[in-house]
Amino acid sequence: MKGKPISRLQEILARGEFAVTAECGPPRGANPEVIRKKGQVLNGYVDAVNVTDNQTAIVRMSSIAACAHLLQMGMEPVMQMVTRDRNRIALQSDIMGAYSLGIRNILCLSGDHQSFGSQPDALNVFDIDSMNLIRTVQTMRDEGKDMSGFDLNDPPRMFIGAAANPFADPFDYRVIRLAKKIDAGADFIQTQCIYNMDRFKEWMRMAREEGLTEKVHILGGVTPLKSAGMAKFMNNKVAGMDVPEALIKRMAGVPKEKAVEEGLKICLETIAELREINGVHGVHIMAIEWEDIVGEIVESAGLTPRP
Amino acid sequence: MIVGEQKSISEIKGIIAPYKKILIMGCGTCVKTCFAGGEDEVAVLASALRLACKKDGKKIDIEEFTVERQCEDEFIQEGAPAVSRNDGVLSLACGAGVQALARRFVKTPVFPGVNTTFIGVLEKQGVFTEECAGCGDCKLAVFGGICPVTRCAKKLLNGPCGGSQNGKCEINPETDCAWQMIIERLRILGQMNNLRVYIPPKNWRTSLSGGPRKMVREDHMI
Amino acid sequence: MAEHFKPKITLFHCINTFGDAAEIYLTGKDNCELKTVKMPCSSMVKDIFLLRAFEAGADGVIVLVCPEGQCRYIEGNIRAKKRVAWVQNLLDEIGLDGRRLSLTNMAAGDKSTAIQAMDDVLKNLAEMGPNPAV
Repeated sequence: MKGKPISRLQEILARGEFAVTAECGPPRGANPEVIRKKGQVLNGYVDAVNVTDNQTAIVRMSSIAACAHLLQMGMEPVMQMVTRDRNRIALQSDIMGAYSLGIRNILCLSGDHQSFGSQPDALNVFDIDSMNLIRTVQTMRDEGKDMSGFDLNDPPRMFIGAAANPFADPFDYRVIRLAKKIDAGADFIQTQCIYNMDRFKEWMRMAREEGLTEKVHILGGVTPLKSAGMAKFMNNKVAGMDVPEALIKRMAGVPKEKAVEEGLKICLETIAELREINGVHGVHIMAIEWEDIVGEIVESAGLTPRP
Repeated sequence: MIVGEQKSISEIKGIIAPYKKILIMGCGTCVKTCFAGGEDEVAVLASALRLACKKDGKKIDIEEFTVERQCEDEFIQEGAPAVSRNDGVLSLACGAGVQALARRFVKTPVFPGVNTTFIGVLEKQGVFTEECAGCGDCKLAVFGGICPVTRCAKKLLNGPCGGSQNGKCEINPETDCAWQMIIERLRILGQMNNLRVYIPPKNWRTSLSGGPRKMVREDHMI
Repeated sequence: MAEHFKPKITLFHCINTFGDAAEIYLTGKDNCELKTVKMPCSSMVKDIFLLRAFEAGADGVIVLVCPEGQCRYIEGNIRAKKRVAWVQNLLDEIGLDGRRLSLTNMAAGDKSTAIQAMDDVLKNLAEMGPNPAV
């Protein structure tokens, strides 16, 4: 991506700083105070905050609105946008609306299937997929055109993110997918949370081999474990997660009152390793509904103060 | 074939409740092959309903008739005498057949006894799987003969989501991930490069999204 | 439960489980009216025949089949089992009670198993009462 950085997140990455992003979920209600509180807790510890879009298909306040509330506090949001609920008309419309409100970062996703969420009877959309969405945002930014080829007056210009999961099947295909997302227009990647460091390192090696780390900023995802039960649950019940047996044993090997502490230790070890991997340009901390812990993690990892 | 499943006895009982004389009309093609509405199924349903109505103390006359295909007027006509003898027709054909009956027998109430579900194949004896969503713009050549529109729960065209695990779809551990299958097939065919090609947004106008579709063959019309 | 009644039973059996002497084995006492349907293989118990037996007035229907692994036509008795299960479910949906229909595996000429099957049915019928759809 050439030209002046569009967003603060892009600027930090362009400068070669190790970026820190976190995630927060909007409330199941219309009170903006909930989002503001989460923002306050994260303020100063992160370079940007992802705001989820009806995550796990549970109806929540919209991502675009929650992002707007964070902007008003002076924070930098990354608006997550899924293709599950909106067709291309609504998506393009929301991208323009988001930009007009000051949002400058977008993460393009397909979205969890609605059968997981609070409205499993709903008709899903999936008019376009995440790859198409990435390309759409790129076209709007670099050519000033929408999907119909129309020249937009004042096109939205966003820093484009995509997700990558080095732990889903089939493994050898995952780097092909990464290459395709970069080709479509992804500027930065946030990965699924990493527990199997060996597998992640292998994926990074394959990415470097294809020259992909020269073309995109990769932020490794981390989520602190709270208990052995949580580790087991994530491994067995959450799609696309890989928690090695050794890690589960490690969590189970400490007394219950020490589990959180052990989980944080593992998290910090992971972050330390990430900083050493060639091609990893930041960390994405996903501590959903536990935003308070992010500050402690960032501080203990020696990543404060933020630039 | 078109696959469907017979409605429950209790739902059907509710549907036929207002009538004293009904005709159960079967279809000898798709619904026969998936055991929902062929001649045999008509006989069994008629017998079951007679027993159910007798038990409830309800008087009802049930006639049975099956045509080759309910989606063609030429065949439906054969059922005209039977229809005229009855107050209502319970059709065990797919939704198209039910509507074809309603088109021809305008004055007789026609109701469905089968829930039409999908276009599919017989995967093995007793197992029917959905294969085609009728999108109207078939791109199976690119995907190694496996349809992501139908068989991927998210209709993804550019590769799998992050939820596929052990080759199974995130929404159901018994459902194969279509993309896993596509990748494996392309590997066998030596067409892995297809996976690198960007597939643009699909034109849904040829699908149900564009309204009910019509196909006309002038060369067959006099 | 019900007032004393003499149940009508229809017996479906394949000729490999019994010869012609079925009636003698099963109706020593005067405790039911028995109708018998002989088949070359028990797999011939199509759903429609079982239902028609109830339409004809049967209070209970018994199906006797060869032991698994010993069907002369290999899987005939397995098909019979599946078909009987399907109709039992249907009978439950109709409200007739699936217990009116039963299937028992028995080796050729095994009198005591056959008699036990019959006794079980009669016991159930005494509780369920006559066929309510007659």
